[in-house]
Amino acid sequence: MIDYENISKVYNDNRVLKDVSLHINKGDVVAVLGPSGSGKTTMLRCMNFLEKADVGTMTFDGKKYDLHGISKKNMAAIRKKTGFVFQRYNLFLNKTALQNVTEGLVIARKMPKEQAVEKGKVALDKVGLSDRYDFYPSQLSGGQQQRVGIARALVTDPEIIYFDEPTSALDPELIGEVLLVMRRLAKEGITMVVVTHEMSFARDVSNRVVFMEDGEILKDVPSKEFFENPGDDRIRNFLRTLTS
Amino acid sequence: MTERLWNILTDSFLKILVPGLQMTIPLTIISFAIGMVIALVVAMIQVAEIPGLKQLCRFYVWIIRGTPLLVQLYVVFYGLPRLGVLIDPFPAAVIVFSISVGAYDSETMRAAIQSVSKGQIEAGYCVGMSYPQIMRRIVLPQAFRTAFPPLSNSLIGLVKDTSLAANITVLEMFMATQRIVARTYEPFALYLEVALIYLIFCTVLTKVQSVCEKRLGKYGKR
Repeated sequence: MIDYENISKVYNDNRVLKDVSLHINKGDVVAVLGPSGSGKTTMLRCMNFLEKADVGTMTFDGKKYDLHGISKKNMAAIRKKTGFVFQRYNLFLNKTALQNVTEGLVIARKMPKEQAVEKGKVALDKVGLSDRYDFYPSQLSGGQQQRVGIARALVTDPEIIYFDEPTSALDPELIGEVLLVMRRLAKEGITMVVVTHEMSFARDVSNRVVFMEDGEILKDVPSKEFFENPGDDRIRNFLRTLTS
Repeated sequence: MTERLWNILTDSFLKILVPGLQMTIPLTIISFAIGMVIALVVAMIQVAEIPGLKQLCRFYVWIIRGTPLLVQLYVVFYGLPRLGVLIDPFPAAVIVFSISVGAYDSETMRAAIQSVSKGQIEAGYCVGMSYPQIMRRIVLPQAFRTAFPPLSNSLIGLVKDTSLAANITVLEMFMATQRIVARTYEPFALYLEVALIYLIFCTVLTKVQSVCEKRLGKYGKR
């Protein structure tokens, strides 16, 4: 459905991404794992043009785009069909939960306001925040904010949602509620790419694991296979340090 | 206090207050409004890094902040006629004060816009908004809240700076006072009186500021 080919990125002589390719099928839930500094987040950000890749292409809806030279217009068009969930939520601080969710519909997509509000409420209900419509981000816990973030990504019926370490900024006791929502989305068949450190999510929810190290994809296999038969020593070490 | 002095003070109160309401306040409001428009445009040009225009904006801020307001008034009102440009006192004062407010407050606005976290802009892009939409809907409202106290400061400063316009024959509060002093020769009491009226104006503004800040603050801290 979405193909990324040969993404490379250099930051002051540091090759953060080395010729990375990823093919995402409809309904895939891809967990991207790897030690910190391995390029996971950079890859995800390049995929949605938050970082400009030096080289690379993207095939989306049957059309091929150059990740480096893509026009602003095409960027905006593709972003309207994708969702992004940030590590630090990045909710619009001057907007309520409901306004956060409807902003992209009303302003970017010119949807009539009543229709957007209706849709926004459904999205917030889905993440369990039906009693928090009019709360500002500052009045919500981290877990609640992240669930608004997910609702904001979800409300536009995107073809794919990218998650950038969605639970890493949360207190341990708040991680569960966010994972639960993500689990539900996966079950509904929403295509997701999730950069995460949550092994339980990778093992139980994702159908594919992409393991990155040093700017390269070391392994791209079904989750079951990844955990049952890690093969590579580096992956074994990574899993050991996480579980110990 | 002698009865004569008391009479002078009560007689002059309205004679000072009326020019205050007719000149000082309109001069302040008009100059501040135009100045804010300049400030916003200059700040946005710098934040958006528009080549050429950005350097022009830096030059403007440099010149205006680096020269005294009083000298600027003199240049425009007494200097420009040499070049055949004659401007009436009130519009001359509005021009100079607007340009001055624009220069100082563009820096306030620029800092406030840049203080909005990058994540807010990225989130805007990710929900499909364009840069102008993000600016208008997300960044500027947050920046304005941050900038509100320093902008209030500049407004209050401007109220008092308008007294400089007396130097270019704008009949505002201070000039009105000077005239009464010339007639009655009671400088101490009369200048204290006009100071008190400035103080009242500024106190009202300070109250308005704190009410507005409470309303702006409704979405709380980060």
